[in-house]
Amino acid sequence: MRSLRMVKTWILAVLLLVGSLPAQAQLTIDVIGGGASQIPITVLPLGNEQRYEQKISQIVSADLRRSGLFRLGAVGSKRPFPTQVKDVDYAYWRSEGAQNLVIGDVVPRPGGKVEVRFRMFDVGSEAQSLGFSFLVDSRQLRATAHKISDLIYEKLTGDVGAFSTKISYVVKRGETFELQIADADGYNPQVVHRYDEPIISPQWSPDGTRVAYVSFEKRKAIIYVLNVFDGSRKVLAAFSGSNSAPAWSPDGKRLAVTLTKDGVSQIYLINADGTGARRLTYSQSIDTEPNFSPDGRYLLFTSDRAGSPQIYRMRVDGSGDPRRMTFEGGYNVTPRHSPDGKSFVFIHRNQRRFNVAVQDIATGQVQILTSGRLDQSPTFAPNGKMILYASERKGRGILAAVSSDGRVKQRITAQAGDIREPAWGPLLNNRRKESPE
Amino acid sequence: MNKVIIAFSVAFLIVGCAGQGQQTAEIEQRDIFEESQSQAELERAEAEKQAQIQREQEELRRQLEEQQRRQEMADEMEMADQQAGGLDEPVIRPLSDEGFGDTQTQDDPWLQLNEPGSPLAERSIYYDFDRYDIKEEYVPIIEAHANFLLTNPELRIKVEGNCDDRGSREYNLALGQRRAESVKRAMTLLGVEENRIETVSFGAERPVAFGQDEASWSQNRRSDIVYVDQP
Repeated sequence: MRSLRMVKTWILAVLLLVGSLPAQAQLTIDVIGGGASQIPITVLPLGNEQRYEQKISQIVSADLRRSGLFRLGAVGSKRPFPTQVKDVDYAYWRSEGAQNLVIGDVVPRPGGKVEVRFRMFDVGSEAQSLGFSFLVDSRQLRATAHKISDLIYEKLTGDVGAFSTKISYVVKRGETFELQIADADGYNPQVVHRYDEPIISPQWSPDGTRVAYVSFEKRKAIIYVLNVFDGSRKVLAAFSGSNSAPAWSPDGKRLAVTLTKDGVSQIYLINADGTGARRLTYSQSIDTEPNFSPDGRYLLFTSDRAGSPQIYRMRVDGSGDPRRMTFEGGYNVTPRHSPDGKSFVFIHRNQRRFNVAVQDIATGQVQILTSGRLDQSPTFAPNGKMILYASERKGRGILAAVSSDGRVKQRITAQAGDIREPAWGPLLNNRRKESPE
Repeated sequence: MNKVIIAFSVAFLIVGCAGQGQQTAEIEQRDIFEESQSQAELERAEAEKQAQIQREQEELRRQLEEQQRRQEMADEMEMADQQAGGLDEPVIRPLSDEGFGDTQTQDDPWLQLNEPGSPLAERSIYYDFDRYDIKEEYVPIIEAHANFLLTNPELRIKVEGNCDDRGSREYNLALGQRRAESVKRAMTLLGVEENRIETVSFGAERPVAFGQDEASWSQNRRSDIVYVDQP
């Protein structure tokens, strides 16, 4: 069952972004800070991996380091590196201070395939804690490495790994705007839409097959839905006035959007095929930035009905009055539920700065997570552990990420242009925490 | 029955307009009376007259308001002049008076629109952070354009709302829409037909100033009045 699921994942990874243009530059990720107690792990070079452009052990190490939760140990002085169970000298690795040791090899197989085998050992108990073999196309070594990172992360932290996910974002280069999709580590950036008018608010469908976004290419805000498999796109909402702030329902069947067709910006529900627009909020004020709760029953949204923009929560069925959620400060916008539905992130005006904050829904407790001058558009990793957001450094738009406890920070920069409007894609195939084998 | 209404309307019009301008209208109306035999023609004539009455009444109301405002504007400009230390005499054109009651549109409206020093040459309304109410100082600009639209009924405008780039892009998009709507609302209150004013928001996506300071931000928090089909 597990292998079948993995096969489907690979197929999806290959099909994704067919026909899109390769982007000009990779993204660079710098990690700042780290978790309170980092898990020690030693990832040795896999046997034979040097023959391939994508070095699996390096990709896995980078993934784990980037999470801020791991401390990568030195690879020792013994050569050759062990690649088989029998080669592992536990006494030596204990003396090196290793606690979790990862080994493996890459073996060419007929038909352009490659078999990637990896094992993780608990050095203390001298036992294998994880072991998998992958038979993949040689072009899938990077994706395989991310899959290995996910398995290690899950084994050692107990949480779902999000290394095999995608992110989307907008790059502004001069007067040109590009909607790009990349791996969560910033590699393989692909331009999926390019235009000389602004693009904002990309949002992934829950199944990761489509991205809804807002384009000004018709000199006004119109919502489009792009199929990331075949690059086709269609208009979701082009009513009179502005059409913006798309937010997918958890089942992917409909979206909450902001329309001004009846005057001021109000929230509507619309089917994913663009039919059946139905008004949801009735205020004389701005209501925008809807975001579904993971159970699909509630919306968080921004409204200035009390005189300044604040975050409110309402039932999707429209019953009852919206409840105000934020009370600190005069500017709280862009709410996004955490994947477990227990908290939400938002942008809080913090004196002269605009920062990412997180609020517990039950207790109302608020924590400010970032300190940039102008932080925008927070988006949770699908495992809820990191929050990606737009920030600014030396006058340029960059992406940054912060762990949901505020301890780990990353900075993601493109080599050229302003990068903004991030959206973290879902776990593919609705992959949840998998039971150990 | 129709005749009673028309007669009443004509009387109302005469009272309402009291003075210049209605003479031509009256002659036209009499012509229509003589010519119109059928019921359909009567109805059409009546509809036309009703519309004209409304127009003329609005014109009159506006004229009164305009006079008041012009006085205020003149006072203001005088004050501004004094502060600036003696600039050129301000060019104040009583646009609504000039065209009132006759066929003034022989003048090229586009020329008037671009005449330097005229409030019509000003096309931008500026706002405070997170606000969309129109500040006192921009009321004359809106009035000038409203009057201009009333005297040039073939023209249409687009109002484009913009914001500085702080805060949320989506909230700014909504705020820009409100800014544009606030201009539209002010103009419709002055009598411009709603369907001649289109509103659009670019949110924070089309800044004209790129600095990260109040000087740039204040430039970007604005509504622009754009004449559609301007050559």
